[in-house]
Amino acid sequence: MGASSDAAYPRFVARSDFVWLSTEIDALGNVMSSEQFIQGIIGGLAIGCIYSLIALGITIIIRATEILHFAQGELMMIGAMAGLSAMWMVDLPFVLVLLVGMIGGGIAAVAIELSIYRTLRTLRVPLINIVIATLGVSLILQNGARLIWGSEPLRYPQLFRARGIDLAGFAISPQLIWIVVLGFVMMAILQLFFRYTRLGIAMQAAAQDPEAAQLMGISVKKTTTYTFVVAGVMAGAAGVLLGSLFFASFNMGFLTGIKAFVAATLGGLGSLTGAMLGGIVFGLIETFSGVLISTAYKDAVGMVVLIAILLLAPSGIFIRAGRRV
Amino acid sequence: MQSAAVRVLVLGLFAVVPFIQTNTYWQHVFGVALIGAILALGLQLLIGMAGLLSLGQGAFYGIGAYVSAELTLRFGVPFVLAFLAAGFAAAVSSLLLVPIVRLPGSSLAVATLGFNIIIYLIMLNEDWATGGSYGLLNVPLPRIFGFEFTTERDLYFLILAVAALVYLALDRLTHSRFGRALKAISQDEDAARACGISIIHYKSKCFLVAAFTAGLAGSLYAHHARYLNPNDFTFNKSIEILIMVVVGGLGSLPGAVIGAIVIVLMPEVLRSSGELRLILFGALVVVLMGVSRGGIAGLAPILVDRISRYRTSAAGTCLESGERKR
Repeated sequence: MGASSDAAYPRFVARSDFVWLSTEIDALGNVMSSEQFIQGIIGGLAIGCIYSLIALGITIIIRATEILHFAQGELMMIGAMAGLSAMWMVDLPFVLVLLVGMIGGGIAAVAIELSIYRTLRTLRVPLINIVIATLGVSLILQNGARLIWGSEPLRYPQLFRARGIDLAGFAISPQLIWIVVLGFVMMAILQLFFRYTRLGIAMQAAAQDPEAAQLMGISVKKTTTYTFVVAGVMAGAAGVLLGSLFFASFNMGFLTGIKAFVAATLGGLGSLTGAMLGGIVFGLIETFSGVLISTAYKDAVGMVVLIAILLLAPSGIFIRAGRRV
Repeated sequence: MQSAAVRVLVLGLFAVVPFIQTNTYWQHVFGVALIGAILALGLQLLIGMAGLLSLGQGAFYGIGAYVSAELTLRFGVPFVLAFLAAGFAAAVSSLLLVPIVRLPGSSLAVATLGFNIIIYLIMLNEDWATGGSYGLLNVPLPRIFGFEFTTERDLYFLILAVAALVYLALDRLTHSRFGRALKAISQDEDAARACGISIIHYKSKCFLVAAFTAGLAGSLYAHHARYLNPNDFTFNKSIEILIMVVVGGLGSLPGAVIGAIVIVLMPEVLRSSGELRLILFGALVVVLMGVSRGGIAGLAPILVDRISRYRTSAAGTCLESGERKR
């Protein structure tokens, strides 16, 4: 198994300006062996966790402010870049790189929120104006990052040992397993944060009914800012994870952000559980349709599923009618 | 709302532009701006009048462009027929989206976005029909009844004529029974339904009209740029059209035209700032969203209001000081 450990790694295929995950599977045609199936599951879960982390940020922002945050993918990109820059300066262990990425994403998010979104809310402009402003922010972040980090894709250094892990006779990349584990840990922490901390509960309350929350002594202004911080931190973590899987580049964010947005809608826009499961389902659909149908139409399959689900169950697959989990 | 005199004046101004700026590059850019205006007018009907947030206009634009280019290139169909066929092809393909129309706001945005991604992937991968990522080369110049539009100026006038017709048509539409129904729907769906307006029916019609308009714009683009590539019709294009409409001013047809011109010309004007160009552009979009509710079209009344308020307050202080003296 050790000799073929290379095969367990995802291969990089550049397509237009984005890098796609493609496993060694399509070389063998459409028949899947059980090893490929396991690898597909792990790969899909890993990419799905990354979508989930971004989708969670999108969801909590929608719940708190009703803003469709188009710059969420760019926050992820900032996280990836921050982690990479830290690694250039000091040789950090992976967990610290992840932490730096989270801090980077959080700082970027709070800076945008305080300087732009809060100002726009104080000016009481219509919601659609703020949504368009997030597109402007996305442009600013993308091209700012291009100025700082250049337009070439940047390779992440090896973060894990290179040998494949032997799992019940199948070679699995340890990187993918780490991504899945860390992704799940972070989502669990977020759930605990929302359930058991004062701040988390206050944020939930403010999102559900701003006026009542205000009457209970919660500063909605502050909880909104914290919402952006949490969203930025999650996106930053996703950035480091995605970067370690592929590359980091200034334009890695937008399409990924859009996909996370689709994933959030798949699970039911506005639901935390929905965003998590939606991300994972979307990651699995993407990976398996790449394997079973065609790599060229991988994204189309996800979109067809999305449209079908929106038509059959407009509130998403994981929500019982009318209830937000 | 505007008087005929104002319209003729504005049209005259547009017609003079290529005579003032004789540089063919700029004339080409102005043509592109007017194509953007046609796209923005179509989306204005959807989002500004009917309140439907669609991010799929880029797909219909692309369908129109490829249909028109293929018909003229492969089958030698005359331009006028290909132009109309582009509009109809886009409208027919929008029928696929009709079941989606009943979705609420953000779901509709994501669904139309997904549609755009699907259409883009088809354009990219079905090489036999679209030339794939190599694109379609040498799309013929438009020719109407033996007159060939060869210079940039000719093309500009052709686009201007179509843009003016689209503007007039949409203006008639919004001031008709249809337009009033849309206004009612965008203000309060339940009340509109209670008044006997079939919401789905009207929304679907809006989709159809907007897609038709985008298809026409696509045909013009194909014969103006003469080279098609799937990358021109990604969801980025849809988002760009949305920015045009909101920057120009939601719900205002002149606003859509102004927005399109600003959004197309701004990067050209900022070209000298090099690397900072897109950052400045993003910053301008953000600032514009903050200063005015109704985009650029909404700025004029604000300015007039400010000035008149300043005048009256100035007059007021004069009076006060006068009274005190007395």
